Amino acid sequence: MAGYPEFQVYEVFVQSTQLSPHTWVGSIDAGSPEDALILARETFLRREKAVSIWVVPADQIHGTDYEDPDFFAQETDKAYRLTSGYTADNARRWRKYKRELLDIEKDFVKD
Amino acid sequence: MSEERLAEFMARIERGEKIEATDWMPDDYRLAAIRFIQMHALSEVMGAFPEKEWVPKAPTLARKMSLMAKVQDEVGHGQLLLRVAEDLARPLGKGREELIQELLEGKSKFHNVFHMPAPTWADCGVIGWLVDGAAVISQAALLQSSYGPYARILQRVCAEEGFHIQHGESICLALAEGTPSQRKMLQDALNRWWEALLLFFGPPETDGQNAQVLLKYRFRTKTNEQLRQKYLTKYVPRIWSLGLTLPDPELRYDEKQGRWIYTAPDWSKLKAIARNEGPLSQYRLALRRNSYETTRWVREALTGKAVVA
Amino acid sequence: MENLDRNALIALLYQMADDELIVGHRDSEWLGLAPHLEEDVAFSSIAQEEVGHAANLYKLLEDLGEGKVDQLAFDRPPERFYNAVLLERPNGEGTYLENPRFDWAYTVVRRLVYDLFDNVRLAVAAESAYKPLADLAARMRREERYHVLHHITWFKKLATGTEESRRRLQEAIAKVWPDLPGLFAMGSVTPGPHFNAGPTELLSRWEAELQPVFAEVKLPWQPVDLNQPIAEDGRSGVHTAELATLLTTMGEVRHAEPETVW
Repeated sequence: MAGYPEFQVYEVFVQSTQLSPHTWVGSIDAGSPEDALILARETFLRREKAVSIWVVPADQIHGTDYEDPDFFAQETDKAYRLTSGYTADNARRWRKYKRELLDIEKDFVKD
Repeated sequence: MSEERLAEFMARIERGEKIEATDWMPDDYRLAAIRFIQMHALSEVMGAFPEKEWVPKAPTLARKMSLMAKVQDEVGHGQLLLRVAEDLARPLGKGREELIQELLEGKSKFHNVFHMPAPTWADCGVIGWLVDGAAVISQAALLQSSYGPYARILQRVCAEEGFHIQHGESICLALAEGTPSQRKMLQDALNRWWEALLLFFGPPETDGQNAQVLLKYRFRTKTNEQLRQKYLTKYVPRIWSLGLTLPDPELRYDEKQGRWIYTAPDWSKLKAIARNEGPLSQYRLALRRNSYETTRWVREALTGKAVVA
Repeated sequence: MENLDRNALIALLYQMADDELIVGHRDSEWLGLAPHLEEDVAFSSIAQEEVGHAANLYKLLEDLGEGKVDQLAFDRPPERFYNAVLLERPNGEGTYLENPRFDWAYTVVRRLVYDLFDNVRLAVAAESAYKPLADLAARMRREERYHVLHHITWFKKLATGTEESRRRLQEAIAKVWPDLPGLFAMGSVTPGPHFNAGPTELLSRWEAELQPVFAEVKLPWQPVDLNQPIAEDGRSGVHTAELATLLTTMGEVRHAEPETVW
């Protein structure tokens, strides 16, 4: 329930550049999605640049329960799926061959 | 409400966890939070009125735009905070309409400073400088609030207050460095506002059930007096550095006690204001009430079924 | 500037700047009084931008030697203002301080007709041989996009919302329409490289934008007769008593202490 008769709560997501994801910034009460888009611009983007706004009726958001932190439990070692799970060992081996570790940013993206 | 649930809740609070809108919470937490956030929200909404009086009279185009942007922010803060209150009040069947009606019926209060007159341009500057300054002291402390949605939204609110502080100081510095009559206008405004600014933080003995509940649940983490002392530390030397005076001969920092000594303001004025008997309480509530009633047809049109295909 | 009619350019800039200042000032009276909080915030940005546009236009006049921006905004008497009278009309009953009972339907219609007109005017100004105006007009047009979208959305909402909102909208249209010839009038400004269109052209482009909106919500269209005599022609410096009151309010603080920094 938003408040004014039949207004709805819309959750607002803003995308700052086309390379960024839409990020939740807050919510507004509005009478329709078109109104919500127009209102959201000034409620949340008076000082920030953006390329896109999404508004979603609040009752369409499905979410996890804060009181169930175990939903997110990561208790056992997951180094096997991290870069850092391999770098120490590989670096040690490559030193014998006078080679450096490869780095995604340095060697593939920027080079 | 079981003892166990309550104990669990208190344990969460003591671990510094944040409480969310959809979490279980004891009734007294919910009610105290709604009351506090609603008052904050409605204060922002009512706070627009003293300053908007000066928008049409702002003495330069730059000040006009700056003041419009500041007032816009206040209304915006009211909106952001009301949304937080609405989500908390939903299980009680209350939405924005109800929360605003409570203001108009005098059941929900707004901060004392917004019941006060702003008769000159310097008052407008002092509001931006010293009222917003007081608000930031209070809001910065609430960034630690146990209530998650409130703490989160206050980050945006505090960031925007950064501009308000600078705007207010800019106006007052220009007056302080201006002609003798501009300086006098500023000094007169200071003399008028000082008591209300001290009152803003509330009485030193954090009396009343609500205040105790808020501290127990770490919704608030600082007392009224702690906040007032911080305000005096930040602002009194600044005010004095401009060669301005404050209308309290006792006002001084006591090194031994490590606190500011000041003449107690008349705390009973807060009670009158809580009954909406402040100097401009009824005038400003009437503005809000009239606009709400004269635009009711508009809100109805925004969601009404289309009468023309 | 050799081929440019300097006087016509200056007169045009005053019309544009004064329109923006006066409408922005009227809009700002709605602060805290708008139909709901989110709209209060949105509408305020539009008002701020109009005042900002005025400041930018006064700066062009300053660069042409007419005086400093704030002097132009605050120190001229009503008979030397060239805004359209439509824009100085009050927002409704009461004043912004005393018992305001403002009319949202009137504001929606006034802002829509004005911003569509401004859009058309800016499109022509963006082709001006006077480069500073062309550049500024191009930038202002981009900001106007949001204004027009906002007003059209409101216009349609009120036209199709409830019977009451539709009726009030039609009453507002009836109030606004007689002031339209005064909006399109251009006083002493005649077309030329500084601004290559006259009132008839502007009107026809404006109608092309607005008529479809009326048709979409099935509201009858009333043509605008530019030959209709204008009671108070703002473009010639003839105004209603409202403007004098507005300017007195606007200058109250500044004129109490002229020649100082605020």
